[in-house]
Amino acid sequence: MASIEFKKVTKSFGDSTVIEDLDLMIEDGKFTVLVGPSGCGKTTLLRMIAGLDPQTSGAVLIDGKDVSHTAPGQRGVALVFQNYAIYPTMSVRENIEFGLKNNKVSKEERKELVESISATVGLSDYLDRKPSTLSGGQRQRVALARAMVKKPAVFLMDEPLSNLDAKLRVHMRIELIELHKKLGSTFVYVTHDQVEAMSMADTIVLMNKGEIQQEASPDTIYREPNNLFTAQFVGVPPMNTAPLGKDGASFGFRPESAALTRSATDAWFQYKGVIMTREMLGSETIYHVKGDRYTFMIKCYEDLFAVDEPVYVGVPADKLFFFGADEKRIAKNAPGYQAYLDWLRRQVDE
Amino acid sequence: MHSKWRLIQSGTSYTLKGVVLLIFIFPFLWMIMTALKTFPETMVFPPRLLPAMPQWSNFVTAMQSGPFVTYTINSVIVTVSIIILQMVIMIPAAYAFAKYKFKGQPLLFALVLLAFMIPGQVTFIPVYLMLADWGIIHTLLPQILPFAANAFGIFLLRQYFMQVPTEIIESARLDNASEFKIMLKIMVPMSVPALATIGLFSFVSHWNDYFWPLVMTDSMNVRPLTIGIAMLRETEGISNWNIIMAGNVVLVLPILLAYLFSSKQIVKAFVYSGIK
Amino acid sequence: MNRRKIWETLRPYVMILPAMLAILCFVIYPVFYLLKLSFYKYNLLNKAKSKFVGVDNYEQLFAKDEFYTALTNTVWYTIATVSLTMLIALLLALWINQKKGKKINALLQAGIFTPHIISIVSIALVWMLLMDPNHGILNFLLKLVGLPPSKWLQSSSTSMMSVILVSIWHGVGYYALIILAALKSVPPTIYEAAALDNASRFKTFYKITLPMISPQLFFILIIMTIGSFKVFDTVRIMTGGGPNNSTSTLVYHIYEYRSNNLGYASATGIVLMVIIAILTFVYFRMLSKKIHYQ
Repeated sequence: MASIEFKKVTKSFGDSTVIEDLDLMIEDGKFTVLVGPSGCGKTTLLRMIAGLDPQTSGAVLIDGKDVSHTAPGQRGVALVFQNYAIYPTMSVRENIEFGLKNNKVSKEERKELVESISATVGLSDYLDRKPSTLSGGQRQRVALARAMVKKPAVFLMDEPLSNLDAKLRVHMRIELIELHKKLGSTFVYVTHDQVEAMSMADTIVLMNKGEIQQEASPDTIYREPNNLFTAQFVGVPPMNTAPLGKDGASFGFRPESAALTRSATDAWFQYKGVIMTREMLGSETIYHVKGDRYTFMIKCYEDLFAVDEPVYVGVPADKLFFFGADEKRIAKNAPGYQAYLDWLRRQVDE
Repeated sequence: MHSKWRLIQSGTSYTLKGVVLLIFIFPFLWMIMTALKTFPETMVFPPRLLPAMPQWSNFVTAMQSGPFVTYTINSVIVTVSIIILQMVIMIPAAYAFAKYKFKGQPLLFALVLLAFMIPGQVTFIPVYLMLADWGIIHTLLPQILPFAANAFGIFLLRQYFMQVPTEIIESARLDNASEFKIMLKIMVPMSVPALATIGLFSFVSHWNDYFWPLVMTDSMNVRPLTIGIAMLRETEGISNWNIIMAGNVVLVLPILLAYLFSSKQIVKAFVYSGIK
Repeated sequence: MNRRKIWETLRPYVMILPAMLAILCFVIYPVFYLLKLSFYKYNLLNKAKSKFVGVDNYEQLFAKDEFYTALTNTVWYTIATVSLTMLIALLLALWINQKKGKKINALLQAGIFTPHIISIVSIALVWMLLMDPNHGILNFLLKLVGLPPSKWLQSSSTSMMSVILVSIWHGVGYYALIILAALKSVPPTIYEAAALDNASRFKTFYKITLPMISPQLFFILIIMTIGSFKVFDTVRIMTGGGPNNSTSTLVYHIYEYRSNNLGYASATGIVLMVIIAILTFVYFRMLSKKIHYQ
């Protein structure tokens, strides 16, 4: 059990600084997901926790202790890599045992640990097999078992599910959530997939260009995005945004917050367009509506319209978001919010 | 008509390939046959392929015409020591060049490649003087030490190590393995094919080496088989071909036998190292 | 605390240290030592009596007929061996690369490679036996087809040719197999595309095959040229540089003078090294532009 803390951490590779003066607290026992587009610095953060690429300046604390000068193997962390990084010349048992042997765990204890862990992840029948004879899912389990057996205080995972096929990925997601519940240790999980982040995290740390955009629960991230980037990163499809035409501000709304109608309604924001494409996804349908000024993605749970049909997009006032010229969201109780709301209403009336 | 023409064509192709094969195999066959002939039989013209009676005693004569037991032991000691020494020196160097970043790395690696280009056929003079100064010129060391760093091997093994995913090494570091352990328990087992290739290469080139022992050795008791066999011509007289060939068979046999059983792997190893 | 950092910085240097020491000691330092020796009249028995003679050794070298003979011999040997070996190796590789006769092709590959792993000592001795003017099998074969016998190694007019013949026989299989591996790595779809474009066999070879395998051909060219310039073993065993210096080569020249005129031998060594360096450099400059790399 351990919390992780970054204090004024800077990381440079040669001349380029990837992360500058970053502060972050990862709570003990929580499932924290670092998410962001590729190159945002999320993996760099993870590798700093592990000690594989130590920070250039600042301090990383695990369980309150500065580990800046502690070797990776002595930080009490385990890392599951994207490509699993299984030792190909060792059997499954030797793979799981390797860390224990290095930590001088006695033979009997090792045997017991390996057997209980492999039973947990369902590898008992494969202990003497070579990794090359295992399937992708089984290798994933070896990587997990290898991490679990060390009983680490911190579990680090770097896109561990991205090499699995879609079906297995959804299944493993649930297993990982259960595993976290069972172990109760701190999980730090890196992914570029916001769906994965939303479904697994207690806390999401959303990053872009080396900076933390928002650090909150999935719920908050979705309902109260800090800024334009967060709003556009989370959700499938992401939030519709467009310039407001005043003060350099923008407005936005979620695809599922809008209603499509054939005739005009009294919705606060109303916009007339034509359906360009229609994606029928089963339980929902996504329409691509194009008008003179804007193009919106609208998600409906009933499939009522056809391509080329003229429609009205209607959004109620409480579902509208506004972002200032600095891309930060303007809170509902902030001054100016009402003015923007009125401005938008007037725009539509014209 | 058409198929008949084809038959002739493939028949000619087969025959021609057989002839080429013979060109490369016959000299070895002739060597073995001559080794089993009596002296008069070697002088017959036109020559005859098979001896009337295999003269096994030729081998005894050849081996008794000089300290061949010593030569053989020397050859074995030198070759085996070189391979072990090279491995011990090469593995950490290749690991460092492949997986660490350090100042001066490109320059130092360029030095390794440069070493590969400088011929021993010119540096033997200063090396001889140097080893004589060290007082070890009458031991086997002059045939071993100069080959301690196998530049070609370092290059080849580095290429191989670079293909090992860095995550595997990092995984081991997180498993609290020392760098030494990572090298020995992870990198080495993963590079067995490359190490086998380099070892084989080393074995063949040093078992067969003639030039270096020739210029480094002054006395019988440190000379290897190659020198001993080449000297048979001087001790046995220029035309005692049956005895010379008997000695020759002894020199060639270990390698020829190894080749007979694993020609595919050996060819692969050599061709692989030639392409990379 | 910081000792770990220091050790981590030092570690790679420690790991390459034995290799670098060995290289410095047995390759780099000897080159400078050799250069120094080439300016001395060296006395093997009494080092104190060695004296600096400036470029004397080099002057002596460039005035010596023997040196020019060795140089010309080496150049001819290199040109003949390299060009003929490459040509024959290429033909052999193309021939073995045919789809027909898998078994005999496998046998042929193993067969032509055999000489490469056998000591040059054995090979030289066997070929001396085969080339024996009086009862050697080569003369027997010549007689069989109605040609006059040759004196092979024992006449200054044919000795060099004989040494070249043995060198080609020794090396051609190895190079043929390297070319063969290159040929096999050309994706068959390229040939299929060429066939659909109605390209002739010659054109396909000249425009596709040759450029695709040129990196390997280039590699062979460099390796073989440098190797040929260092030829020694065959000469030393088969002819001893004779008859009449007709097979004396640069390395043999160095070898001959190594004990009674060490400074002179060193100067020759420096010249040989310079030649090899220039050749390597020129090859890289000349061919690096013309080679197709994937």
